[in-house]
Amino acid sequence: MLKLLGAALIIVAGTMAGWMKARQYANRPSQIRSLMQALKRLETEITYSFTPLPDALRRIAHQNKDPLRSLLMTAAEGMNDAMGLTAQESLHRALDQHWRHTAMKASERDVLHQLAYTLGTSDRRDQLSHMESAIRQLEAEEAEARDDQARYEKMFRSLGLLTSALIVILIY
Amino acid sequence: MNWMHIFPQTISSLLRKMPLSLLNQVEEVRVREGRPLEVNTAGTFYFLTQEGDITKDPSLAYQPGREEAHRLLDQITNHSLYTMEEELRKGFITIPGGHRIGLAGRTVLNQGRVEHIRDVSSFNLRVAREIKGVADALVPKLIDFTNKSVLNTLIISPPQQGKTTLIRDLSRQISQGTWGHREASWGGLKVGIIDERSEIAGSKQGVPSFDVGPRTDVMDACPKAEGMMMMIRSMSPEVLIVDEIGRPEDAEAVLEALHAGVRVIATAHGTQAEELLHRPALSRLADPPFFQRYVILQRNERGLSFECIKSSSL
Repeated sequence: MLKLLGAALIIVAGTMAGWMKARQYANRPSQIRSLMQALKRLETEITYSFTPLPDALRRIAHQNKDPLRSLLMTAAEGMNDAMGLTAQESLHRALDQHWRHTAMKASERDVLHQLAYTLGTSDRRDQLSHMESAIRQLEAEEAEARDDQARYEKMFRSLGLLTSALIVILIY
Repeated sequence: MNWMHIFPQTISSLLRKMPLSLLNQVEEVRVREGRPLEVNTAGTFYFLTQEGDITKDPSLAYQPGREEAHRLLDQITNHSLYTMEEELRKGFITIPGGHRIGLAGRTVLNQGRVEHIRDVSSFNLRVAREIKGVADALVPKLIDFTNKSVLNTLIISPPQQGKTTLIRDLSRQISQGTWGHREASWGGLKVGIIDERSEIAGSKQGVPSFDVGPRTDVMDACPKAEGMMMMIRSMSPEVLIVDEIGRPEDAEAVLEALHAGVRVIATAHGTQAEELLHRPALSRLADPPFFQRYVILQRNERGLSFECIKSSSL
């Protein structure tokens, strides 16, 4: 009886782990997509509305869902007078705090990390070109993420169940 | 000190170590990348050492580095340099509280004209101070008894003598109707301030942070000539107050105000009225004489002093 319960537990845990990994593959492209849209909105705020960076980030944060929302919100809050951080430090701090809650990978993080060095520190034309290049890089990442999703999502979903079944068989 | 937080921690901690009596007198804080940190108080200057002591010897002084210049610029632009393109073209940024930060560095040209300043390496924070009552002695001399108004006045002084502080208080008193004269018993007048550099009223999101009087409207961050016309058309001011006139279009707008029956109180850089009115841009205001009073400002240890000249005696 106890053995059976253990086996059931192993199978449930394995399947769950597989599903979670699969979900990460499914979420990554859509999160990259919303990140790109957020950057495009930021581009508009900067080049057409002259919105100061903290206000622009806050406004865009409200239009998004978590985890992007809290990422942008933390970045905006770091730029308060009381914190005394530069735009770059504040963005990097937000990335450090919230990146692990996203399904995105290190290459997307690098794009944002790089962008943080220039955001808010130059004229509109320069800002525009930096944002555009960031968006182009993210587009490439998104295409790759979609390939990965097609390749691995189903695999991980079944792999979780199959691996746990194998373990149960071996233990028996 | 609402201007202190603008500096990076390394610099503000040095400023905080200064004796309070001196800190209250600070007029300028000059940050130059890789060069000594300087503060100016009423006519003298000091350098600050690493320990926060004041010295006259520049070799002992603390030298802010690139990192601090970068932080300072980031902070004064509210992390958004792109919103300050116009300010960078003019060479200064006004921060909340009406304090003005002058900038110098390498300029970027576009077709021979300055587009903006890049690699900003020198910052000069000019502390704005509100001194109520500084114009007490001047107001009675500017009253126009026949029209129950004020006389057209040009205030002349070299930079850093307190022009802005003076006209801020003038505007408050005219707007309030504190004439300081027995026979002047009428109330305050409608005052319009054209505050191109946001220094007179220190406006934050359009609302003045200094007391400029109950009947005063402020056109913030607006070019003077255009602002004067807008005010005359839309706000029916009785007195217009502008800082630092000097371009031909400013003179044009001042004349326009005269024709509209609006009184003008303006300031200009200079030392003498005659010399000033010979400048090509302002010569149109000399003949026929537009200004009825010229006030020459001077500052000494006791404070502001001024000399009031009637235009007929020029």
